[in-house]
Amino acid sequence: MIEAHHLSKMYSRGLYALHDLSLSVKKGEFVFLTGPSGAGKSTFLRLLLMQERPTSGELIVNGQNLATLRRREVQEYRRNIGFIFQDFKLIHSRTLLENVSFVAEVIGVPAPQQRRRAFQVLKWVGLQHRMNAYPATLSGGEQQRIAIARALVNNPSMVLADEPTGNLDPDLSLEIMNLLREVNAAGTTVVVATHDRELIRLVGRRTVTLDQGKVVEVA
Amino acid sequence: MRALGYSFRLGWSGIRQSGGSGAFAVLAITLAMIVLGTLLLLTWNGERLLARWSSAAEFSVYLRDDATSEERGAIETMIDQSGVGLSREYVSKADALAHFRREFAELATLAASFDDNPFPASVEVRLKPEAEADGRAAGLVRRLASAAGVADVGYDREWLGRVAATLQTVRAAGLALAALMALAAVVTVATVVRLNLHARRNEIEIMELVGAPLAFIRGPFVAEGFLQGGIGALVALVLLWMGFALVGEWWGTSIRAMLGGDGIEFLPVRLLVFLLAGGMLVGGAGGFAAARHAG
Repeated sequence: MIEAHHLSKMYSRGLYALHDLSLSVKKGEFVFLTGPSGAGKSTFLRLLLMQERPTSGELIVNGQNLATLRRREVQEYRRNIGFIFQDFKLIHSRTLLENVSFVAEVIGVPAPQQRRRAFQVLKWVGLQHRMNAYPATLSGGEQQRIAIARALVNNPSMVLADEPTGNLDPDLSLEIMNLLREVNAAGTTVVVATHDRELIRLVGRRTVTLDQGKVVEVA
Repeated sequence: MRALGYSFRLGWSGIRQSGGSGAFAVLAITLAMIVLGTLLLLTWNGERLLARWSSAAEFSVYLRDDATSEERGAIETMIDQSGVGLSREYVSKADALAHFRREFAELATLAASFDDNPFPASVEVRLKPEAEADGRAAGLVRRLASAAGVADVGYDREWLGRVAATLQTVRAAGLALAALMALAAVVTVATVVRLNLHARRNEIEIMELVGAPLAFIRGPFVAEGFLQGGIGALVALVLLWMGFALVGEWWGTSIRAMLGGDGIEFLPVRLLVFLLAGGMLVGGAGGFAAARHAG
């Protein structure tokens, strides 16, 4: 599913966020990326989302070398990825249903199907009864559940989560992780970047530890 | 089509959310379109009247008081054989005086004071439009001027040329001003749309990350400018029409008298559509300029 070969990302003044990183994630796998701040976890996810391009090395997803993708192809590639961020990235001027359904709308799903799909995933995360509410009226845990619903509305083959529990207390964090485990159980590849060692221990999946842009441990 | 519907829905919502800044952009387009509309109103009416005056071209052959009937016959034959006239009419000295009395009734005392009829007899010739364009009319006028029994030939077409040249100058100056104002409107719309774009940067980022096509990301901002342009142009057309109606109300009679009985008319539908489309284009250009910063 994901193949990273000698991947490096250098920022200005010779500072490496990733340095000669090689890593492989199988289809349908649930993988934690962990390590201290600045280890390169988020950079790796940003490269996977094609928000940035690597300085050198190869990143292959589903057999596609990301370096060869043109702008239009990048957008098509992203439609197959669900993303979840620490700050939820919800649109505050839209209702929960709209926050989820617009993702289907902008990739051309017909209107009736958009609402049906959005309602299904909202039901799955247990927030269908609040579909006409606005994000600001929700707790952090609820907002993250909406972000998960949005990530799943287009049935992606891969979900990337960058510190998805960073703003949540331990109980809510575990709740979010359980949702991600369910997503993974349905066959979706899940990559979660987190520095929460306790959460990793509780979930118990393959863990890749990064430090200074390199893989230092795989457990 | 979906992107179009989505863009206009969000573009409209963008206008509603932009408040004062959106109104400012609409105002800029309204002003530019009023200038362009006024210019069109002036030049279109000018050209219309010029065409009418040109097609109604005629000249007068004034006969000497001592011209014989044979000389008059020769003049009329010359006119008929030239093939440039649509019609001709002989106006006797008595008819000319009667015409003066009729047309200038307020000068009745002056006309009554004439010891002798000072008006010459004439042959009035209405020209075929093509005869004027191909120069045959001018050739005939030159020949008639030297014919026996002719005192003078009244054929002043220079004023039409002067009117056409003035119209050309007005059009050039007006177009330059309208272009300048349109450019200012584009910049204003672009600035306003960019403000909205900045307010929605979070949404744009999400759209990029979910793989939305560029048309969905940039479309709403182009549509916002386009709609602002349309509203601005529509307001301009309404104001222009109101201005036209007021001018007609206050000075309509004077204008008709000045133009020899011809009135001015409001712009035809094709030019109204042109103005509306122009406003939308100006707004759309501003929106497009701003949208390049999205995605």
